Amino acid sequence: MKPLAKLASISKTLKNEVVTDWINQGKKVVGYVCTYMPEEILLAADILPYRITGKGARDTSLADAYLTRVNCSFARCCLEQGFRGEYDFLEGSVWVNGCDHIRRCYDNWNAKIPRPFMYMLPVPHMFSPEGRQWYKEEVVKFKDAVEAHFNVNITSEKLSEACKIYNETRRLLRKLYDLRASDAPPFTGAEASIILSAGFVMPKTEYNRLLGSLLNEAEKKSKAPQEKVRLLMTGSLMDDSEFVENVEDMGAIVVTDALCFGARYFWDRVAENGDPFEALVDRYYTHVPCPRMAGEYPTRRDFILNQIERAQVKGVILQHIKFCDLHGTDNAMLKMDLEKKGIASIELEREYGPLGDAGRVRTRVQAFLEKIGG
Amino acid sequence: MDDQKRNMIVRLHEIFTMGSDLPDELDMESPDVKDFLDTLSEDRRIAFLTSAKDPDVRKMSVGFNRAFANYWERLCLAKEQGKKTVFIPFNCSPEIFYALDLMPLGVETLNTMGLNVEEGLHEYLDLAIERGLPDTMCSAQRGVVGMLEAGVLDMPDFLVNGALGGCDPNSKIFEYISQKFNIPAIYLDVPFYHDQRALDYYTVEYKKIVTALEEVSGNKLDEDRLREVCELSNEATELFMEIQELKRHVPNPVPNYYNTIHNATKLTMVGTSDAVDIFQKALDVSKERLKKGAHVLPEEKIRFMMMYTGLYFGGNIHLWLEEEMGATYLLDMLVSNDHNPIIDTSTMDTMLGGLAEGMLNLPMTRQLKGAWDMPANWLEDLLYYADTYKADCLVFTGHTACKQAWGIYRLVADEIKKQLGIPTLRLEGDGWDSRITSMAVIKEQISDFFETLQ
Ligand code: SF4
Ligand code: SF4
Repeated sequence: MKPLAKLASISKTLKNEVVTDWINQGKKVVGYVCTYMPEEILLAADILPYRITGKGARDTSLADAYLTRVNCSFARCCLEQGFRGEYDFLEGSVWVNGCDHIRRCYDNWNAKIPRPFMYMLPVPHMFSPEGRQWYKEEVVKFKDAVEAHFNVNITSEKLSEACKIYNETRRLLRKLYDLRASDAPPFTGAEASIILSAGFVMPKTEYNRLLGSLLNEAEKKSKAPQEKVRLLMTGSLMDDSEFVENVEDMGAIVVTDALCFGARYFWDRVAENGDPFEALVDRYYTHVPCPRMAGEYPTRRDFILNQIERAQVKGVILQHIKFCDLHGTDNAMLKMDLEKKGIASIELEREYGPLGDAGRVRTRVQAFLEKIGG
Repeated sequence: MDDQKRNMIVRLHEIFTMGSDLPDELDMESPDVKDFLDTLSEDRRIAFLTSAKDPDVRKMSVGFNRAFANYWERLCLAKEQGKKTVFIPFNCSPEIFYALDLMPLGVETLNTMGLNVEEGLHEYLDLAIERGLPDTMCSAQRGVVGMLEAGVLDMPDFLVNGALGGCDPNSKIFEYISQKFNIPAIYLDVPFYHDQRALDYYTVEYKKIVTALEEVSGNKLDEDRLREVCELSNEATELFMEIQELKRHVPNPVPNYYNTIHNATKLTMVGTSDAVDIFQKALDVSKERLKKGAHVLPEEKIRFMMMYTGLYFGGNIHLWLEEEMGATYLLDMLVSNDHNPIIDTSTMDTMLGGLAEGMLNLPMTRQLKGAWDMPANWLEDLLYYADTYKADCLVFTGHTACKQAWGIYRLVADEIKKQLGIPTLRLEGDGWDSRITSMAVIKEQISDFFETLQ
């Protein structure tokens, strides 16, 4: 199977073929939800970190009894898949107090469908020396909990090794984004979304291999510049290639993003000199900040402006899942700042997965693209 | 000038001054009373008439109105007197601002008080959304954003938010105000846990805020002045603890109305002598009522508490509950300060530590920052309050924006039923915006629920 087809197949189902192989080797899989969770700790313990999403949920009928109609549909879809037993292959899951919705998803998950290893890793909501110290202590506690539960010893060497593997992923993904930023992007935004999605649910060594050959192939192919409107997408959690495809179908191409399922996830690397644990803590605490980090809006805005420049973006999609106040408010602020800079943008409120309304999104995007000359 | 375009604080000052100029014993037919009633919004006219009807409530409200008239006046004069103003959320205690000679203004308090002057504040709630704020953000602060947009509120000198971690809309709206109106914001991180480590972390954060406030305001914190404020704060705490004690009596002698003034006072004036006077009056009246056997009339049929927020529009819910339902409104979580510490005033350090501890125990910050069943969290506190104050049932008002509370309502309600055998009612709507669910519908639902208990 060609690398892209292989990645697509992996990203399609929750318990995919590589996860099954991993489990068949007698190894454990642990779920996580947020980019503030240092995955390298799990990998150093020979555990597969697996990003929980609501992929495949057909409705949220079970979850809605606990997480309600005023909770974000992403959190509800995750819980729904948990309730339906789709995540029973996980030995447990690690959560972060990322936002009101996801920490309540944890509460319900922990109360109703606990797995043997359930863990909450609280992260401060600000950058400060005390915050960094707090976060470090939490990561230490987390590492200790992993060691105790799985009866493993996470040595510096193993951690260093894991950091190198993850940095390689980050390097390759950066290369993917360089190619997307070029005049002739070899991948659509929807394809990029598939490529990224797969990376969250498979061992990174194998991912790196597939991604490496995919990028080599892409580099070799010469592509003519495209006449499409170049877009950046930011906002709430977005792992939905169909949503992106829907946008692109209107004559656009998403060439970059500032998503936690995209650029914000891999942009920063772990320093490879010095103590790996300290480097890991630094990297995860200070990586491109999520809107949950108070007072950091200017940093996020500047990151987006940077992306706009390097990928020659013509319009920005500011999407947020209904009731996601963190991204909804950030988007409102971005809209104002982008306007000041003369950059076109559109705010889209959406629902996650099965609750989405593709038709409405298409109509609005079409009007937006017409306005900016698509 | 079109009243809608006049400064909100000035209008509040006028209303509270008029209200407080009225004699303690009201003659409802007098021209002064009639003039005063004309200035009020429909909601608040009902509320005022309600409080005026009951002589005990009237006694409480007189001092409250006078103190608030002073408070709005001080805000009106702040600029002229070179005093800096600070917008804070409801989980940021006012003491430190008074100690630093700054004027604190709680956005939720202003939003709620604004309902006195303008029917429903709808124009402002909507304007905030029209100008960009997501409509899922909390209406408790949205009205204030709308007032800033409409130019009927002066920009504060800075913002302080101490809610990070307890409620996303609450902290996010401060970032929004800061960016949109270019006002410096200072944040205080709330840790996930509630233990000594968390308190130590929070105290360091709190002290940093004090330093930041000193820097931006140019005012230096004076130890003696801080002590004075802390002593006044302690006096207020002791008084409201005594009032809480009285609430344990069956039937409860504390009028339902007290809950409203408690909240506004605690969030706005604690650390001043006005707050002490208000609580003293409320205590005196309640003690007197206990002596004479006064309570919800004709008999206390139901004792209930709100699980989280109350309802801030509609004016007369307290009276309706008393008169028509025979229900004692024991408390709502937002007025629940049983864990407020007495501040040790020996040194600067102990005082700042005590203030930080007080903040960490404020409603919401205490109960909604961590996991639902952790120590000192929502479930534990609800169990404590329901048990201590002998509630027969609980009501969740279902304020839409409180997603962190909605997300665990079911777990909490089930557990309360299991442990205490107490049922809960879940309403849906908005605590400030009457257009989401009308008071008539809310009353009907509460009334139906109470019927099932009898
Ligand atoms: S999309 Fe928004 S509300 Fe939903 S889990 Fe993510 S940050 Fe939270
Ligand atoms: S906790 Fe609820 S009422 Fe309070 S600010 Fe947040 S959303 Fe508003």
